[in-house]
Parts: sequence; C-alpha cells; structure tokens
Amino acid sequence: MTTLSEGAIEALSNGNSVSDPVLQLVNIRKIDGGNGPTRFRLMMSDGLHTMSSFMLSTQLNPMAEDNKLAPNCICQLKRNVTNVLKDGRRVVVILDMDVVKPAEDVDGRIGEPTPYTEGQSKGPQSAPKPPVRPLQPQNGNDGKYMNRGFNRDFGKKAPSAMPSTPGGSSKVVPIASLNPYQSKWTVRARVTNKSSIRTWSNSRGEGKLFSMEIVDESGEIRVTGFNQEVDKFYGLIETGKVFYISKGSLKIANKQYTSVKNDYEMTLNGESSIIPCDDSSDVPMVQCDFISIGDLENRDKDAIVDVIGVCKSVDEVTRLTTKSSREVSKRTLNLMDMSGKMVTVTLWGEEAENFDGSGQPIVAIKAAKLSDFGGRSLSASFSSTLMINPDIPEAYKLRGWYDKEGHAMDGQSLTEVRGSGGGVGGNTNWKTLGDVKTEHLGHGDKADYFSCIATIVYLRKENCLYQACPSQDCNKKVVDQQNGMFRCEKCDKEFPNFKYRLILSANIADYGDNQWVTCFQESAEAILGQNAAYLGQLKESNELAFDEVFQQANFNTFVFRNRVKLETYNDESRIKATVMDVKPVDYKEYSKRLMMNIRKLAAQ
Amino acid sequence: MSGVMDVPRARINTSMLSQYISRPVCFVGRVDKVHPTGKTFKLFDGEGKVTSVELNEPLEEELSGIVEVLGVVSNKGAIMASSYNILRDDKGITFDLELYNEALKVIHDFPQHYPFEVATSG
Repeated sequence: MTTLSEGAIEALSNGNSVSDPVLQLVNIRKIDGGNGPTRFRLMMSDGLHTMSSFMLSTQLNPMAEDNKLAPNCICQLKRNVTNVLKDGRRVVVILDMDVVKPAEDVDGRIGEPTPYTEGQSKGPQSAPKPPVRPLQPQNGNDGKYMNRGFNRDFGKKAPSAMPSTPGGSSKVVPIASLNPYQSKWTVRARVTNKSSIRTWSNSRGEGKLFSMEIVDESGEIRVTGFNQEVDKFYGLIETGKVFYISKGSLKIANKQYTSVKNDYEMTLNGESSIIPCDDSSDVPMVQCDFISIGDLENRDKDAIVDVIGVCKSVDEVTRLTTKSSREVSKRTLNLMDMSGKMVTVTLWGEEAENFDGSGQPIVAIKAAKLSDFGGRSLSASFSSTLMINPDIPEAYKLRGWYDKEGHAMDGQSLTEVRGSGGGVGGNTNWKTLGDVKTEHLGHGDKADYFSCIATIVYLRKENCLYQACPSQDCNKKVVDQQNGMFRCEKCDKEFPNFKYRLILSANIADYGDNQWVTCFQESAEAILGQNAAYLGQLKESNELAFDEVFQQANFNTFVFRNRVKLETYNDESRIKATVMDVKPVDYKEYSKRLMMNIRKLAAQ
Repeated sequence: MSGVMDVPRARINTSMLSQYISRPVCFVGRVDKVHPTGKTFKLFDGEGKVTSVELNEPLEEELSGIVEVLGVVSNKGAIMASSYNILRDDKGITFDLELYNEALKVIHDFPQHYPFEVATSG
C-alpha cells in the first residue's frame, strides 16, 4: 500500500518546501473562471491532515477533465508553488503531478486526517472567499505574485526574534497583522513605491509629506510621513530595498487615496524608526495581479489595475498647465501584450521625463488608473508604480513572445488616438457613413467612436447659438431675466452679460449615405471659420453677413471624428452623432489609404 | 490639334507609352532636361523613367518642377504636345509624383471601375 507523506500538509501550510510529497486526493471541485479558463480546486490529505487550498495549474486541467483525478486516488506532487494571498492564507498551486495509484485501486480514505488549521489568517478578513479570485489566470498562467524564495525555508512565520534584529528585542510581525491597538511592533518589508515630496499650503499652515507602499510575505500597507518625518526618513528610503520599520501609528485607511489592499494605513511619527535590513532575500519584490490588456475593455472606468506589456511606441514629453496653474510634464506610450491589444498609458511628472522607451522595453505598472478616455486608456497616477524590464517571469514571457511574433503585429488599440488626419500608426477607426447604419454603431452599451471623410451638405443656422453663463468652465444656458440680467442656475448667480456658444446641427454626406450630426463650440467654429462671439454679434447686427458665413461653410469636406450612441427619448430610440473633432482632409494620406484598401480588396 | 482637347485622354506613365501610340494622353512628370532649342524636353515619371516631349513652338518660359502635358504619342515613343500645364511647387500642397504613379497603376489595373474612355454624350 502506498504510504502518504505524513507531515507534508503541515509543512506546506507553513510555507516549507516538501519534495515530491505523496498525497491522497480527497475532493476535487471545478471552479468556473468567468473570464478565464476553468480552475480546479483540490483537497489533499497526507494521512494526518487535509488541506483544501490546492489549485491545479491550468496546464494540468486535462488530467481533471479526463477524470484521472478522482477522489481517493493517490498523487505525487512533482512541482508546486506556494502563493501567499494578501490576507496571509496560502494556496499551493500544483504545476506537475503524477497519479501513482488510481482511485479504483485504493480502499477509501487513508488514515483519519483532520483539516489542518492554518494559524496564519490574520488581519481584518472579509467573508471567506475562494482562493480563485486573486489567482485570475491570464494567458493561461498562474497567479502573478513575484515571490522570491518560494521553496526556501521560511520557518519564521510565527512572531519570533530575528537573529539580527537591531534596536532591541522587537519581534518582527507580518504586515497583515498590524492594527491600531498594538504599538510595539516591527515589520520587515520592501518598499515598492516611494512618492515624491509633496508640499501644501492652506489656511492652517504649510506642510510636506511623502508616502510609500511596503510589502512583505503577508501583505502590503501604505505608509505616510509628514513634516519632520520627511526630513528624517525620505533620504534613507529607497524603492526596492528592505527595511525594519517600527512604531508607526495605524489608522483606518482612506481608500480614496490608495488602492493598497489593507484596511489600515500607517503614519510615521516621532517614535518611528526605519532601519535598513540586509537579509532581504525572502521578502517579496512586489505583488501584482496583472490584467490582460484585452480585458481592460471589460473593466469599469476608474478601476485600479496592474498591467504589463511591451512598450511598442512612446511619444515625446509635453508640458501642460493644469487648472491650478501648475506646470506638469506628460508623456504617452503604447503598451501591447499577448492579447494583441494595445492601450495608451499616460505618465506624469518625473516619471514622464525620465522614461526611456527605446528598445521596446517591458513595462509593468501596478495600480494604474483605467479611464474611459478615448475608449479605454491608462494613467500612472501618484500612487502607481512603474517598473521597466522588471525581473519577473511575466516580463520574460512577454519578451520571448514579442521577439518571436509580437514585433510584427500591429496592435489593436483600445485608445482612440486624437492624432493627425489618418491617425499615426493606423490606429484610427475609419468608417463610411453607410457603415454607421449597417454595423449598428452606437447600439452597444458604450458609445462608438469613428473617423470618416464627409462633406457638409446642410447647416442649420436657426438656433445654432445660445446664451451661456460667462463664468469660465460653465457653459450652462442662462435665463434672460428681461431686466438686463442673466441667471445661471448651475452657478446660482446672476450676470449682466453672457457668452455666445455654438451648437450646430449639420448634415454631412459621403458617396454612400448621409448623417445628421451635432457640433459643439470647437468643431462648429472650425467648420464655420468664425468664433461664436463674432457670430453672435453678426446675427444681431448683420443678417446677410451671418447667412453668408453659412453659405461659405457649406459643401466643404473634412475629416470628422464622431461619437455615436443610441439614445432613447420616451420610447423612441435614435442614433445621436456628435462631432468630437474636425480636421482638413490630408489628401495624401487619404489616397494612400484608399489605394491600400483597393489592393487589399483585390487580393481577396 | 484642337481635336485632342475634346477627347478623353488616358493618364499614363513612361511604361505605358507603347500601348498608346497615336492616342491622346495626359502625362505628368518632373522636368529633367530642356533642349537648347526649346522645342523638346524630357520628363521623369513617378517610376523615374524618362519620356521625351515635343512642342510645335519653342518654349517661352522656364520649365521646372512638375508639368502636366496633353498630347498624342508618336510612333517613336515621344509625346507630341498640344498643351502643357506647370504645377507650381510653391503653391498649395507639393505634388507627390510617386503617389500619383501608384494611383495610375490602380486606374490601369481596374479599368472596369474607372471607365474614363467612355465619352460622355452631350
């Protein structure tokens, strides 16, 4: 009778490695992966204990699907990897396994194993979730935790004194166990993200702060230092290095500012200490849960995601001025991964200035913000971490794929580039007006964006101008109070004046079809060749000249960038088209594109 | 030669000259050399090949840049011009001769879609 490797379950639960353990399969459960492939969760026994957090790696799915893994069969794990979830629980992912004895040859359960209670769960835990969620497989791979030293001997999970703990006899505790009710603790963690120093000045005074995120085997937490702590610690902290941190104060996390998964966040105070740690090998580098770029379409806007891809192209740094009159640097790059899809990522500040996209590096971003700008796009926010050519398996895989096939692919971008004429790199979505109807553009949940070349055939000059609130940034229509004052409901104020704004209804046509579109201020001014204020004046003073503007604007051809969406008003659904941008036709680009299409059609 | 102006003229490049002998054509090319007599000059087409153009009267102006010539192809493979047009470099968008050549190829590859030869009645 095959003997099971007793003690293996306990060892695996504690993060210790066991070589080729022989275990009995107690139960196997299929978990529907939703967006990803099916996963199988197994409960294994070593005769002494059972543990249910075993996941079959997707490459072994056929074993389960062919019914080789039936309850009671005896298996030997040849290769496995232990992933630590952010709440401290462990999941063993089985990468390679042999069935040494099929179920029918085994008389039932061996021994009387009891579930091994992992005394590890700590920290505020929500209702038990199946371990499947964080291990969302992308491209058929397992969890994305870059945990170094998997099969090394941890053996230090229970709070125990570290051999070389400087500064007294503080015990090292896991980050996941930190809470506001304990003050004497030390954590040993790696800094994954250090922000720049931010200063502020308000009625209560001035101040400065910096923040960072630290991670250890049990989880991650955000740390902020103010004023004096900035001076004390900012220079010492280096991203990627490991430190012993003690005696910070804990409070409930303000989830608005961070995506770090911890209910608490730490603030450094006068008693806090940060000491560099030399023995850092088993502290994980960073915890990321990468989403495939193709999947971004399915995520909600404003979601915080981790992505990794090849930087296919990068633009020049630009400087712009924000509403608060601050100047900031900005740079966009295009990221592509094995899904064949591409997305535009925006970098800010120093990150933008220092970014070097030459050689198509692998770029990974943790906690990037997903936006619906141009469809889908990403932004590296204040709290995102940007990694170039990171030393993680996912990066090597991407490099290999890109060198073999990816480099020849023209990624399909999720971000509609507001580029010149034809859209640099052929990313523009060109359609004819007939396509809008035949392809039912705009009928989906989201609006559709497309570009077309069309000629204006009618401009409605009646009601193209309206009186708007003169405040900057407010374009709401004002009510004429008839006493020389105009009231804006949004600003809740009255003004002695207003500004004219345009809403132009036009009919545009191409060889096949026509389309009613609405043009707002900028595009209307571009089409009419006059600004709204001047037109308003003209309308009041010189009707003939006003009409003339419209005559001149008629029958001009432009490149229109449009947005279409099906809208329902009182039981009636209609396609509404809005012009986002108007540009003169670049005939050279247009002819090249037409000829390319002709040749393509001819080849079919 | 005024009869040439009423008839549809095919746009061609140097490679197509032999197929259009004695037929009215339109040739667009970049000026290469002008003969000292001023009665003949050479044009490059979009493929870089050279065609000779012969005039009835000598040139009265400087020729440079892109020129559009209307005329008939002689059996020696030169174009007997009835009129010409200079497409000035300094006005408007620069003429892209290679792109023009590509378009020519498309027109000739798909004559069924570009029925220029059909004379419009009336």
